[in-house]
Amino acid sequence: MSAEVLMPARLRFGDMARVASVGVRTRRVRAALSALGIAIGVAAMVAVLGLSASSQAGLLAEIDKLGTNLLTVANGTTVLGRNQELPLAAPAMIRRVAPVTAVADTGRVDVNAYRSPLIPSIHTNALDVQAAALNLLPTVGTTVAEGRWLNAATATKPVCVLGAAAAQRLGIDLVLPGERIWIEHRWFYVVGILEPAVLVPQIDASILVGYPAAATYLSFDGHPTEIYVRSVTDQTAAVHDVLGATANPAHPDGVKVSKPSDALVARAQAKGALTGLFLGLGAVALLVGGVGVANIMVISVLERRSEIGLRRALGATKGQIRAQFLSEAVLLSVAGGATGVGLGVAATAVYASTKHWAIAVPTLAWAGGLGAALAIGAVAGLLPALRAARLSPTDALRTV
Amino acid sequence: MTPPVLELDHVTKTYPGDPPLEVLHAVNLAIEEGELVAVVGPSGSGKSTLLSIMGTLDRPTSGTVRVTGIDIAGLEDRQLSALRATRIGFVFQQFFLSEHESVLDNVAEGLLYAGVPRWERQQRAAEALDRVGLGHRTQHRPTKISGGERQRVAIARALAGRPAIVLADEPTGNLDSSSGAAIVAMLEELNDDGATIVVITHDHDVAACFPRRIEILDGSIVGER
Ligand SMILES: Nc1ncnc2c1ncn2[C@@H]1O[C@H](COP(=O)(O)OP(=O)(O)OP(=O)(O)O)[C@@H](O)[C@H]1O
Ligand SMILES: [Mg+2]
Repeated sequence: MSAEVLMPARLRFGDMARVASVGVRTRRVRAALSALGIAIGVAAMVAVLGLSASSQAGLLAEIDKLGTNLLTVANGTTVLGRNQELPLAAPAMIRRVAPVTAVADTGRVDVNAYRSPLIPSIHTNALDVQAAALNLLPTVGTTVAEGRWLNAATATKPVCVLGAAAAQRLGIDLVLPGERIWIEHRWFYVVGILEPAVLVPQIDASILVGYPAAATYLSFDGHPTEIYVRSVTDQTAAVHDVLGATANPAHPDGVKVSKPSDALVARAQAKGALTGLFLGLGAVALLVGGVGVANIMVISVLERRSEIGLRRALGATKGQIRAQFLSEAVLLSVAGGATGVGLGVAATAVYASTKHWAIAVPTLAWAGGLGAALAIGAVAGLLPALRAARLSPTDALRTV
Repeated sequence: MTPPVLELDHVTKTYPGDPPLEVLHAVNLAIEEGELVAVVGPSGSGKSTLLSIMGTLDRPTSGTVRVTGIDIAGLEDRQLSALRATRIGFVFQQFFLSEHESVLDNVAEGLLYAGVPRWERQQRAAEALDRVGLGHRTQHRPTKISGGERQRVAIARALAGRPAIVLADEPTGNLDSSSGAAIVAMLEELNDDGATIVVITHDHDVAACFPRRIEILDGSIVGER
């Protein structure tokens, strides 16, 4: 037999795993506690990312339900900075575009509304008075919360309906018979209050009256300022492109066309940024967990000197001892990480289901959580593993 | 002719320090295949140091160590590990058994680093336990058996890989005299079956049972019978 044949045998994967799990199996409570630190950190991060993704998914679903086929046409400004009014015929012209299914317009009236004549005129509450088409509510996707909406008869009378925010600012939360507000030296009777209009929040701060009433009592010139347009969903982009020219053929550039759902989607997506702080806290917890694992590994190597000595006597190489302790640290940490992912997903699921959101845990969250746990385990285990491997067999065996 | 299983040629060992301490002085020793040898000497005479060097757990400061004819001076650390995994078995005074694993798994661990697959390790461990008379206790934990039985488990672990030589450091040191005598009798039996065994002891009564005795005092071999 010659020296050349002396090559250490490689441990099989199963044997490697058994050896790596010796410390975990023999000191379960300690292993569980040190893995817990990692689990808490990962759980926090996964839950934060999962909750923010789920709430986003919830918002997007809500926006989808309101419809992504609503377009808004508004009057813009001329090159000289003056208001470019929409033509009186604009709503009718838009209605003629083929994929358009509904058109409703509102026109801003340049007057202020007050709870009573006794309120000083500077206290406008930032409320708009608007003339509204009778089909406004289904078109913008809102409904009446209290009372009634305008009809052909009440649209000609000094009668109004309050947007959700307007009602709040005026301090009216119930539609009592005889309830009225003071607009342009005249009482207007309140017949209804609207639900919030999520897609077009400008309706919320408005007091809505019929077009004929606005003309009769408020000397409104009848020019629409906003036209809400619903179209066949997959034609929305095409309709968007022609709306400017259709609404105001003479000055298409003075028309602002927008898609309110886009702004909401953008806002829902921007909300993710707020989670940064919590994510940071999760990362700190994870780091502390990593320090816990490193601490346990250092102690483990000190306590298990005789095991190290025995394994060296049985023929373990330095590399095999190093691998044993390194993989033990990784095992601890990844076990903690997997538990953390489970906890984080569970927390997300519970919260999302109470809010009726879809459960969304981004791949980045769980894969990142596991990956971070693995990396932290490797870093935490490195120094103790190197120490264990450096121990001379005789020194290790001398410990009693 | 086959070379001796173990050969020490002018081996010295000096532990660094101020002043450096030479604990072995030019030790010459050869163990032939099939021998049963006792190394006997008082505490502090350098017996454990000698065993570490014989077992390649430590390298001599000077001199030559050959295991089955291979000069270990030319081997890297990983090659020494492979040498220990396949050709040397150890038995220690403190047994060094894992309390959390069965007797069988403890013995099987002795074959792990020789690259033996798990099923074969278990099979050979069971055979080794049979040889030391513990075939009926394979599933017990080491904490549930007596000290003498524990040492037999440790001997089974050393023997499981059928090494060229078994080195035992005070195998009876933690045992009462009757358990110790039983261990010695067992070693004799295993030697009859062909195992080459070196036992280190400070106990002359124990040493008296062995066919060859090497006496060591203050790091030098002072006599042989
Ligand atoms: N790592 C070391 N560094 C310095 N001196 C050491 C070291 N190991 C052993 N010694 C010294 O070497 C001498 C021999 O020690 P060794 O352990 O070989 O003796 P021993 O014969 O096995 O004794 P015992 O019967 O008590 O086990 C002792 O004086 C001891 O103090
Ligand atoms: Mg000793």
